[in-house]
Amino acid sequence: MKKIILSLFLISNLYAELVLEITESSENPYKIAVHDFEGAGNLSKIISKVIKDDLLRTGEFNVLGSEDLLSSINDIEKINFKNYRLLGIDFILLGTVKIEDKINITVSYDIYDAVKEKKVRSSKVYGIPNKTRQLAHYVSDGVYEEITDLRGIASTKILYVNEIKARSRQVFKLMLSDSDGMNEQTLLSSDSPIISPTWSPDSQNVAYVSFETGMAKVFIQNIATGSRKIALENNYQISSPSFSPDGKYLSLTLYQDGNAEIYILDLSNKNLTRLTNHYSIDTESSWSPDGKKILFTSGRSGSPQLYEIDLLKFNSKPKRLTFDGNYNAKASYLPNNEGIIFVHRTGSEFQIALKYFNENFSRPLTQSRLDESPCISPNGNVIVYAIKDDEQGLLAGVTLSGAKFKLPASSGEVREPAWSGFLR
Amino acid sequence: MKKLVFNKNIVFFSFVLFVVSCSTTNVTEEAVYDSVVSSVEVSVQDNAVSASEEYSSKPIMANAVVYFDFDKYSLTSKSIQTLRSIVEVMNDNTDIEISISGHADERGTREYNLALGQRRGEAVRDYLMLNGISKKRISVKSFGEEYPLVKGSNEASWAKNRRAEIN
Repeated sequence: MKKIILSLFLISNLYAELVLEITESSENPYKIAVHDFEGAGNLSKIISKVIKDDLLRTGEFNVLGSEDLLSSINDIEKINFKNYRLLGIDFILLGTVKIEDKINITVSYDIYDAVKEKKVRSSKVYGIPNKTRQLAHYVSDGVYEEITDLRGIASTKILYVNEIKARSRQVFKLMLSDSDGMNEQTLLSSDSPIISPTWSPDSQNVAYVSFETGMAKVFIQNIATGSRKIALENNYQISSPSFSPDGKYLSLTLYQDGNAEIYILDLSNKNLTRLTNHYSIDTESSWSPDGKKILFTSGRSGSPQLYEIDLLKFNSKPKRLTFDGNYNAKASYLPNNEGIIFVHRTGSEFQIALKYFNENFSRPLTQSRLDESPCISPNGNVIVYAIKDDEQGLLAGVTLSGAKFKLPASSGEVREPAWSGFLR
Repeated sequence: MKKLVFNKNIVFFSFVLFVVSCSTTNVTEEAVYDSVVSSVEVSVQDNAVSASEEYSSKPIMANAVVYFDFDKYSLTSKSIQTLRSIVEVMNDNTDIEISISGHADERGTREYNLALGQRRGEAVRDYLMLNGISKKRISVKSFGEEYPLVKGSNEASWAKNRRAEIN
């Protein structure tokens, strides 16, 4: 038993060294007291830290840890709600970690409303010892949804491309990590560039573009088995894959007549349906959440702008969505279908912008110079995107409530993030 | 007797109401999903070797690089000068076939840059075809911003990366 606890401590301690950088937080956060969880020695401290970071990263919480609070609580009966209210605290989180045996670990937690002076949630999460961060993410998501009434995203995953210079050669990796950038795993390691990774709606498969055959080709790979196949066999360049919300179709850019045009591939019979037909560039397609529309970038006006095609109307003319700025590209819909996020150029700087359908202007969300590849969390609250920081590529995040953060940097360049669906 | 049962029911009903009104605590239990991830490795080192052998076996080559302005695929007068000499070499050596690869700088999105690189490659091909070179002797593909010639986020580097390479 002692041995188990020691090895848990070592594994978790490695993770604990990486620090999350919150650069700004939102204006009106909930204030929550997170007391260090009880039991299981240092492990409960690490779980508490992950939960606090998760809540901070949502941008909707002001988090007070045990170190900020006057006393630790051993007996729940003795909670003095008045003391918490004096600190402006709205909610109190208490929890216990219990290592059942080699393969089972349980976290129990309770959420108290300091104003109503009562317990609002009592939950248990069952996990396994070498996935303690994931266990903590489940707790964070439970807390988040109890308080905000929105589904949490701490337990979701992010896909991205990592370029590493190893001696004389470059290595391109398709990576999978937790939504906080930790627990990295390699899906594909290649000596050719990889771009445009994306998830299937059930989060079991990923599609991406690889140059390993000497030209751009779209591959579909199963995460669990690693089996991969080319999406469409032909002699042309293929890129920019996007799964339909029902997972039955893949929209892609095919260079069949040289120029970039968008097609829809029926994954069951490999039938292709052409969607665009214009002498200028058409690419970067993505599906609306209801699967009825396709958003894409087109150069038909003379500069890259965003357009939308209604799939239900036969031969419908693409509708232009962006008019401000001379570069609007790589867009995707908000999960609630109320707007789009995209790369927007103002002056000489590329930033991430948001445009609601009921507004006729774009709202810039970021301020650096070369921001690209925005992807939105499945609950629609957080955008992760690629930035160049000191000529180094890394991932940053911004919440719609205005909080900003950077994800811990791995070695080499990190770019092209793609957010999974809900996994919990 | 019947009356007594009825009363019992009322008592039970009010007890349930009491529980519901006093306890609005959410009680949940869940298990962490245990995901499996497999890692794949691909290498094209062997292909790369055969490609370079192919090049070295050619006695005469038509090699050149032409450059473009940002978000543009029109040929500059300097590019046209370069392409004229390519036309000459290809006219003198009718067995030469060329491959054009279009590239972009790091600014803008990767997929749009892939399409832009293709347009640049096609602009070069179109010029060669206009000057009598058969389409069959030319292949075009794009590498977008994925293979920069020069690293660095500044205009000098970007200018060198917005190019079409002829091999």
